[in-house]
Amino acid sequence: MDTFIQLTIDALTLGSVYALIALGYTLVYGVLKLLNFAHGDVFMVGSFAGFGVFQALGGSDPTVPLWLFLSLVTLAGMAVCAALGVAIERFAYRPLRDAPRIAPLISALGVSFFLANSMQLLFGAAPRTYDTFAIHNAVLYTSGFDIGNVHMPLLRVITIVAAFVLMVALWLVVNRTQAGKAMRATSFDREAASMMGIDVDRVIVFTFVVGSALAGAAGVFFALRVPTTVSIGFVAGLKGFTAAVIGGIGSIPGAMAGGLLLGFAESYTQGYFPYVKDHTQWSDLVIFVILIAFMIFRPQGFFGRADIRKV
Amino acid sequence: MSDSTPHSGHIPAGGPAVGQDEWVARHAERRLIRGGPLGTLEDRLRRVPWWAWLIVFLAAFSLLPVVESSGYVRRVAFDTVLYMLLALGLNIVVGWGGLLDLGYVAFYGIGAYAYALLASPHYGIHLPTIVAVPAVVAIGAVVGLMLGLPSWRLTGDYLAIVTLFFLQLFQTIATNAQGLTGGPFGILNVDPFHLFGHDLAVQHGGVFAVSYLYVALGFFAVVYVALRFVNESRTGRAWRSLREDPLAAEAMGMPVNWLKLLSFSFGAAVAALTGTLFAALSASVFPLSFYFVLLITVYTMVILGGAGSQAGVVAGALIIGPLLELLRDASKSRIIFFVALVGALVLMGRRSRPVAIVAVATLVLGFLVHAVAGAIDPSWVAGEHQPGFAGFVDHWVIVPEHLARWIPPVSYVGVIGAALLCTMLRGLPRLVALVPTLYLGAFVWENVMLSKPEPARYIVLGLILIALMILRPNGLLGERRVEII
Amino acid sequence: MRKAIVLAFALLATSVAAASAQGSGSAADKSAAGYSCSKTITLPLVTPITGGAGFLGTEQASWAKLAVQQWAKKLGLKVKLVTGDTPVEQGATPGQALAQKYVADKSVLAVLGPATSGAVAVSSSTYFAAKLAHISPSATRTSFTQGPKRDATPAFFRDVPGDYVQGPTDAKFMINKLKVKKVVIMDFQEPYSLGLAAAVENTLKKGGVSTTRLSAPNTTTDYSAYVTKVPSDADIVFFPTQKPGDAQTFAQQLIEQGKKAKVFGSDGSNDSSQFKQPGSYVSNFAPDITGIKSDAAIIAAWKKQNPNKSVGSFGPPAYGAAQIAMTAISMACKAGHGSTTRAAVFHTIKKVRIKNWILGGSFRWSTKSNDPLNAKFYIFQIQPNGSYKLVG
Repeated sequence: MDTFIQLTIDALTLGSVYALIALGYTLVYGVLKLLNFAHGDVFMVGSFAGFGVFQALGGSDPTVPLWLFLSLVTLAGMAVCAALGVAIERFAYRPLRDAPRIAPLISALGVSFFLANSMQLLFGAAPRTYDTFAIHNAVLYTSGFDIGNVHMPLLRVITIVAAFVLMVALWLVVNRTQAGKAMRATSFDREAASMMGIDVDRVIVFTFVVGSALAGAAGVFFALRVPTTVSIGFVAGLKGFTAAVIGGIGSIPGAMAGGLLLGFAESYTQGYFPYVKDHTQWSDLVIFVILIAFMIFRPQGFFGRADIRKV
Repeated sequence: MSDSTPHSGHIPAGGPAVGQDEWVARHAERRLIRGGPLGTLEDRLRRVPWWAWLIVFLAAFSLLPVVESSGYVRRVAFDTVLYMLLALGLNIVVGWGGLLDLGYVAFYGIGAYAYALLASPHYGIHLPTIVAVPAVVAIGAVVGLMLGLPSWRLTGDYLAIVTLFFLQLFQTIATNAQGLTGGPFGILNVDPFHLFGHDLAVQHGGVFAVSYLYVALGFFAVVYVALRFVNESRTGRAWRSLREDPLAAEAMGMPVNWLKLLSFSFGAAVAALTGTLFAALSASVFPLSFYFVLLITVYTMVILGGAGSQAGVVAGALIIGPLLELLRDASKSRIIFFVALVGALVLMGRRSRPVAIVAVATLVLGFLVHAVAGAIDPSWVAGEHQPGFAGFVDHWVIVPEHLARWIPPVSYVGVIGAALLCTMLRGLPRLVALVPTLYLGAFVWENVMLSKPEPARYIVLGLILIALMILRPNGLLGERRVEII
Repeated sequence: MRKAIVLAFALLATSVAAASAQGSGSAADKSAAGYSCSKTITLPLVTPITGGAGFLGTEQASWAKLAVQQWAKKLGLKVKLVTGDTPVEQGATPGQALAQKYVADKSVLAVLGPATSGAVAVSSSTYFAAKLAHISPSATRTSFTQGPKRDATPAFFRDVPGDYVQGPTDAKFMINKLKVKKVVIMDFQEPYSLGLAAAVENTLKKGGVSTTRLSAPNTTTDYSAYVTKVPSDADIVFFPTQKPGDAQTFAQQLIEQGKKAKVFGSDGSNDSSQFKQPGSYVSNFAPDITGIKSDAAIIAAWKKQNPNKSVGSFGPPAYGAAQIAMTAISMACKAGHGSTTRAAVFHTIKKVRIKNWILGGSFRWSTKSNDPLNAKFYIFQIQPNGSYKLVG
């Protein structure tokens, strides 16, 4: 039982990060019908940007109150990523908006490659550790609350709650504001939206700002607990769009559900899969097989609509 | 090698005729207008049949080991032939089928592993090469068919994801199934090719033996010719129509799904064939050799050369393969950078004369900045001095003795920002902005990128991909697609 | 546009041709012809400079550079150190291509590295065929020099002991000093950790210790789910990673979940800037050389070139390997009266002895294998201030 609770906590922590990444994929896919392969690397840049501010504000001995410290670090990650997202959209995707669909996909691969290697060029391949463990005598780890025999550390509570706050905020923006309405309209039918007087370019930029900022926050939440390197973007991106696809790409609640589901799948398979002789770890394999099956039999995901092609 | 058919002759005077695509007609017209010796030469070259080009190319390539006995150069040449084969295979799926297959290198790995299992002490099976290679190609084709099955249901992006998962799945199995694949330890002591009663030695006294280069070239010639015929067959034409408009193709009663499967299968077979060469040469296979970076590299080759054009993708491999190798070396990568810079200016200069002024201005700016910086603080220009061309560069670009930690990130981001700004400007402001951008670019290349060749190489690759998609999506030799709206 | 393409092609072709003409100049390679010792000798160091293990290679390069500066002149040689990059993420290909490159370069008389075991396994035969000795400062896989099935050729040397010492040393320390009852052993599905995990598991089992084996993919970043599998009464988690930061994460997550087990890292996690959880253990093939008196001058010189960096444990053996290689070349030169061959250097290596060895004491080779004689592994415990203290 303790193991189960612990794994569930892990799953929530992982899942909330995956969900934030998945939202970026889903939003961009919604308005542009583009799989933004570079999104995982935006996430990586976010974790590094946060690290810069983390160090600047004193590292493990913060010069400002803890709550402000963590907020500033997160905001820095979000701000840098938002700017990066806008730049990527403006220079790598906008010129290709009317090209065949394969063109922006390949351009996105190029951007992803470019970002990961640029970061390696500038900051090296060494991992960066936010030394949260050393802050005020591990207060972020020792305080918190207990569920049965399992300790729920403060840091995990903070990241999970913050992730959900961001998701709710996003939901409100999309469903309750003018900008969100424009976004929904654009994603429903871009051409019709532009004829109705919606500035599609602005909507797309806004989408990239929001999606990339969420990835930046995810990057910080992820790296607060484990070391980050310039090469995490690929795997994170893979997981993020997997989550988006499971939930039904283009659907916002779908991305959230997909992210959590992936977190649970990963945590439970890692935790419960027994060690097999000859050093094999099949949990990854199980996940990939499920995913491929999922893609083949229910490509529209849980929340998506079946795609109707118009001729 | 030219892909255009040799008989694309004259267009009747008076413009496009009935039944001819207007754009194509105009294109031929434009070409005819171009006069002068260059135009005539171009026209002559265009009439040379493709097989003559192929023979000339093969002959030139086979002469390489005669003039160059360095094992390293031969090895790079061999790797380039592998890239050419991989690019030809990917071209079937991407260029002809129009499908985004991100699992392509998995087939390369499957080929290598399959050959290793059929010809190594791992299971004690030692099939003769003449049996093993066709068997592996068949395995590749069958697995390709199986991976193609999802494309019955999926289109575009979804297919890309499934194939990417497939690559991950392959990696996981290769790393985990220790009994089958040797896990992370790989499979060692793979048999060399055994042809005409001889074991082909990989090396003589540690120097790469040429025999593999010739075998690889032989494979290449066979694959090239075979694919050429496939492309001109019914299937080839059907692929092209599928790529241009799947819906229309389906409406015309084409077996769209079957065609997709077929392109997957053909691509996989070529990749598997290449894998046997790789395994036999390395005498070993490891899961890590079939990684994502390789996939991007082959994609860049196909896109650069021009997806859809066989000659194009071969050219792409011929450029990118050696380029990546040369960029490993600081002294060579310096030359490449400056030649590329001058080349880019010359290309732009065809349209606007002032570009020559930009070049001169950049040169002058460089010497000025260098002189001023040297006068203020000699240590700013006191970086390592080299002889020859590098020495000249040292008198033009500032190379400080010690780089402060903030300089690389700031200058790198700065030059990218400046370059992006240049793309937004037009006319005179652009030319003015270009001068400091170019100089800053040279500074970054000399001070930041030369010392770290590994990421620098891949940054170049990424930039080529993005720039190509935007500026020339049809690559060097690809056909321009006529968008039907 | 056609013209533009032709132009672009021509430019690219000339640039490639010009670049390859530059400095390649390696015509017929006749290693038997003898190389004049008064010419510049190229000494390549093959190691991961970039990628996840990049920290290891940069550290080795800085120390090898220092060795060349301090010894080349003294030994009457002109030596140019070059580095060849073998990122661990790219598998066998870079190691093989680099071996071809150095075999083709006749100014190369001996090679340092490859630093990683994977790269040794794929390139040793090429070096051996060219009679080119290669001395690795960090490849510890046992089967390179020991046992019936060898993964390396006789051209392979290493100046640090292999895992056949490390595994049993670590396990015996756990049994005798730490009196462990239950140990969890992790591996990361790559050859380094698999070999070491197996060696430790064997010795522990023989010593009657109960062991649990866990296996995580090498791409794992968050180990929380694996930590749940660590029994609460386990004493030690043996964590043979090449990513020191991961050992730190694991140690923290053990505490987070209230497990009492301590992390026991191997040479790959020996990095005091990343792995610093007090109470953890680390083993390494080199002692902390800052405590060795005769090294004081070397360390001072290194610190001058590498300000703000701490002395790690991968660097000094690279200094030692460079010293051995240059000494062997110099001896071979003397024997050959001003010229030498790769084969001569190869056969001289085993005769090299070094009086003031950088890792303490003196250096000589084992007579049975291409390993150092009597070399041992050292075990450190991490102190509350993050420093490493020698405990065994």
